Amino acid sequence: MRSDIGSKTAIVGIGRAIAQKTDEKKTPLQLGAVAAVAAMKQAGIKRSQVGALFTGRAPQAYMMLQYNQALLNELKIGPTFNSEVTPHGAGALGTLQLASLALHAGVIDYALCVTNEASGLWMDQVGSNVGWEGDLQFEAPYGCTTPALYAQFACRYMHEYGITPEQCARVSVENRRWALDHPHAAMRHKGPITVEDVLNSRMIASPLRMLDCAVWYPGGIATAMVVTRADLAKAKHQEATWIAGFGQCTTHEWVGERMGGFGYAPMEDGPDLVNTGALVAAKQAYEMSGLKPGDIDIVQTSAPFSFVHLMMLEELGFCGRGEGGDFVASGGIDYDGGLPFNTMGGYLSFGQVAQGLYNLHETVDQIHGRAEGRKVADVEIGMVHGHGGPLAAHSVMIVSKEPLQ
Amino acid sequence: MSNAATPADWANGLHLTAGPYFLGLYQPSPETKDFWAGVELRELLLKFCAESGNWLHPKRIVCPDCGSDKLEMRRASGRGKVYSFSEVHRAASPAFAKSAPYVIGVVRLEEGVHLFTRIIPGSAPVKIDAPVQVDFRVLELGQLLPVFVVAA
Ligand SMILES: [Zn+2]
Repeated sequence: MRSDIGSKTAIVGIGRAIAQKTDEKKTPLQLGAVAAVAAMKQAGIKRSQVGALFTGRAPQAYMMLQYNQALLNELKIGPTFNSEVTPHGAGALGTLQLASLALHAGVIDYALCVTNEASGLWMDQVGSNVGWEGDLQFEAPYGCTTPALYAQFACRYMHEYGITPEQCARVSVENRRWALDHPHAAMRHKGPITVEDVLNSRMIASPLRMLDCAVWYPGGIATAMVVTRADLAKAKHQEATWIAGFGQCTTHEWVGERMGGFGYAPMEDGPDLVNTGALVAAKQAYEMSGLKPGDIDIVQTSAPFSFVHLMMLEELGFCGRGEGGDFVASGGIDYDGGLPFNTMGGYLSFGQVAQGLYNLHETVDQIHGRAEGRKVADVEIGMVHGHGGPLAAHSVMIVSKEPLQ
Repeated sequence: MSNAATPADWANGLHLTAGPYFLGLYQPSPETKDFWAGVELRELLLKFCAESGNWLHPKRIVCPDCGSDKLEMRRASGRGKVYSFSEVHRAASPAFAKSAPYVIGVVRLEEGVHLFTRIIPGSAPVKIDAPVQVDFRVLELGQLLPVFVVAA
């Protein structure tokens, strides 16, 4: 059944707070509160109007039960519907999906969605992240690292489709070019890189080398968005970015667990390490919006390793299954003339924040012509992919400058 | 001792980590304790659903096919093939550094169950579809664990 929710809700306010390593140290809660107030201000709503508060998973740097309540307590709001959206990296976009459902159901007028993380300021992310991405009983004791968990997918993906390290490296090169233009990108001062640089960088966990890997964002970022219904967006707000379609799919918890999966999309016939929930989520988003891949002007993907970008380009529909390598090698995502892809530099060069809406923020900025880095001309429709590892949880959202239906 | 208040900076210098893994601990749970007891006896046990004849991962609580929670432990052949692998060069923690590079991967057992494991090059190198045989070794954190050795 096709949902009629596409273009019935819109983002009408955005706020952001960033703390770099060189700034005064901030907690995720501090950043989140500042971003939330900024979003409400831009939307022109009072705190008494916030009907729902949806937050992503509790920040790694502020792990507590009921984080959502800590934030609403700080903001002094009394939402009638609130929740943390837990599929971690995918839960960021999940907050807006839940907001849209609540708005479309008519139970609230305004939802506030907030993601905030500052693990780059407070934690050893390289050392600690595997604690979130590997099974403590059945994986971690073998000496797992986050790259080694993703490398299991890389090994199969490259084996099954003949993907080469050179093709993967091309993603790192193009991501870096976008990052050099962005004032907040982690690698903005590091200069361009070549395919050879990637192939000569230190082996981390075969087949992944240093420059195939995301850089952890050396700071903290909070992003907040106010979402409302179409009628209110048109009547009361100067600027709206329309939520044209969305989808979500989570398939497993750990890599090893995934290999016991079968009987559900996208692993109907049995487990594998190549078909992810992004395939399912993208299909939902396209159907809801009535759009197809050729309609998308700009794409942001949440991909912590170079090969994941190729998988996602395939699963989001920009090329066929197994064709991601050829697509990228033949200029498909070139900074000059390709599909505008990860226009802040992506996880590989802007940097990865453990959870966040900053990719959606960038897309909204591009749509309204105010991107902080390189501006892409005439963006009407953008796609954002959010993911929680290891390739476990996926969200896809399509946003547009004008309502589509 | 000075009474002067020092500004709070509670995390500076502290190595904030992610829980028991960094203490080198794993915690067998009620549904996995029999698996780990088998490991102590150097036996590889899997869950088995007599209702539907399914071999299942040692963590399973219910059979995904028939819903039965009467899963028994049954000894597996210990033979399988490499499904995927990675040679880890940057070790997980100082405890593992002396072993790097080491190979971790997913093995598909003859019973159809996949296990995440350490793969040890034997008389042949590690590659996809290479045949492997279970062995039991004390790894870097001091635990006895099932590992898989590449067979000739
Ligand atoms: Zn059964």
